[in-house]
Amino acid sequence: MNILSFLRDKLLLYLLHLSCMMALAVFLRATGYSADGRLLVLICWFLVLCIWTVCEYHRRKRYFSRMEAVLAQIDQRFLLGELMPFSDRLEDRLYREMIRQSNRSVIEKIHAAEEQKNDYRAYIEGWVHEIKAPITSIALMCENHKSEVTRSISRENGKIENYVDRTLYYARSDEVYKDYIIEETNLADVAAEVVARNKYYFIQDGVQAEIDCPDDVCTDRKWIAFILNQILQNSLKYRRETGAMIRIYTQRRARGVCLAVEDNGIGIRQEEVPRIFEKNFTGTNGRTHGRSTGMGLYLCAKLCGKLGIGIGAESQEHVGTKIMLEFPAGTFHMR
Amino acid sequence: MHIVIIEDEPAIRQELALLLRNALYEVTALDDFHDAAAAALAAAPDLILLDVKLPDESGFAVCAKVRAVSDVPIIFLTSQTDAADELNGMLGGGDDYITKPFHPPVLLARIAAVLKRTKKTGAKEPDMMEYKGVRLDIARGSICFQGRQAELTKKEFQILYYLFQHTGKIIPRMELIEYLWDNQVFIDDNALSVNMTRIRGKMEQLGVHGFVETKRGMGYRL
Repeated sequence: MNILSFLRDKLLLYLLHLSCMMALAVFLRATGYSADGRLLVLICWFLVLCIWTVCEYHRRKRYFSRMEAVLAQIDQRFLLGELMPFSDRLEDRLYREMIRQSNRSVIEKIHAAEEQKNDYRAYIEGWVHEIKAPITSIALMCENHKSEVTRSISRENGKIENYVDRTLYYARSDEVYKDYIIEETNLADVAAEVVARNKYYFIQDGVQAEIDCPDDVCTDRKWIAFILNQILQNSLKYRRETGAMIRIYTQRRARGVCLAVEDNGIGIRQEEVPRIFEKNFTGTNGRTHGRSTGMGLYLCAKLCGKLGIGIGAESQEHVGTKIMLEFPAGTFHMR
Repeated sequence: MHIVIIEDEPAIRQELALLLRNALYEVTALDDFHDAAAAALAAAPDLILLDVKLPDESGFAVCAKVRAVSDVPIIFLTSQTDAADELNGMLGGGDDYITKPFHPPVLLARIAAVLKRTKKTGAKEPDMMEYKGVRLDIARGSICFQGRQAELTKKEFQILYYLFQHTGKIIPRMELIEYLWDNQVFIDDNALSVNMTRIRGKMEQLGVHGFVETKRGMGYRL
């Protein structure tokens, strides 16, 4: 609000005053007032009007500045109705009441939406836990009756498990803080476990694996296993036809430990590398090499962010891809 | 070693029992969960596998009851993956915690680890295995025959270790390779042949002939 817009807003009032002043001037002239006397009366009127304008402008200006300050301070702006400064003007009071009513309905909507979201997430989590029982029994049956058929079933069962896992971690990814235990984690163990989980694919597709992770880090074992599994699945999916190889190794850096998963697969186009962690990004490989959901690496990046781990990628087409996880030393350390 | 399974899902219970029997454990699977703690203890187990979600009471409650009278090792099985649950399990006296869907080799490894850690009598692994006069030294990773000795690489040792555990049985190549992958030896079919040739070479040097038989198209047998 500036003075010009304020004046324009009051234009009708000023026109009214002007016409009244003119009418008064005509009336005074008809009743025989001198020109000086008429001018004095009109000047007085004008002065009073000016003073009123200035005062009114300042009052309004102060009122709205306070409101703007309130808006700037609160993080949830829809609460403005409750925090609006008090004003004795009837219009302000009416507006305030209306805004409060409208805000109340917004708040109700938000609560309802949040509740619905929580319900839905609880349902998804419950469902995931239920589906795990049959997945477990299938895995056990395959293990107990080993044959070519059960190996294939095992492989497919593994896929189901991965999809289910991803669903669960996606549902949870916003609330990582509720569910982690940071502890000294032996990355070699985690890597070996994840590789063993995928052994059917490695063996079937003739992919070689190598683990060289002498460094321990402080992190949550379960989440890091999930992240590593997603990365490994990509490496397996986008492998080269013959002589495929995946190396998982750690390097000690000045400010922490770097865990790298390096493959000699088909690689990623240079211009697509910066986008692979984006949600729903599938890229050329995702289109040419079977289905890609564009969720795996997005989830990895999101979870890494929550866990305070840096994630990055290097890749060259037809040469290979390297995904790096940077565990900072010191942060998230619980000792 | 006697293991009691307290798991209400019949399919998992049966297969789990079979898996453990195949791994040469003695197994009792409870199918009545009314007084699971007492029933489990009545079987005098060396270890209890305990599902967290049971029809009558939670696994944690069963664990507390068992703990009141016995310090038998308990491993929780659950499909919940919350860290809070994990803490509950540990604080409630559980020795380990495995989330479904678990991978059978992982479960077996955890069971072995818990048994080893809690050191029940007889739970000690032998540090020596012997078959037809050939001794596999587990602690040192070497093989002996008539006083002569040959060092083994990690890969060679794991291959022989598995064969020594299943003497007299034909072990399919695939089964052997899968076992190796579960134990951090990542080799393919060709590498297995190469390693087997090296093992045979070492055996020959020790003066053992025809120790590992090759069953063409089937696998290996000690």
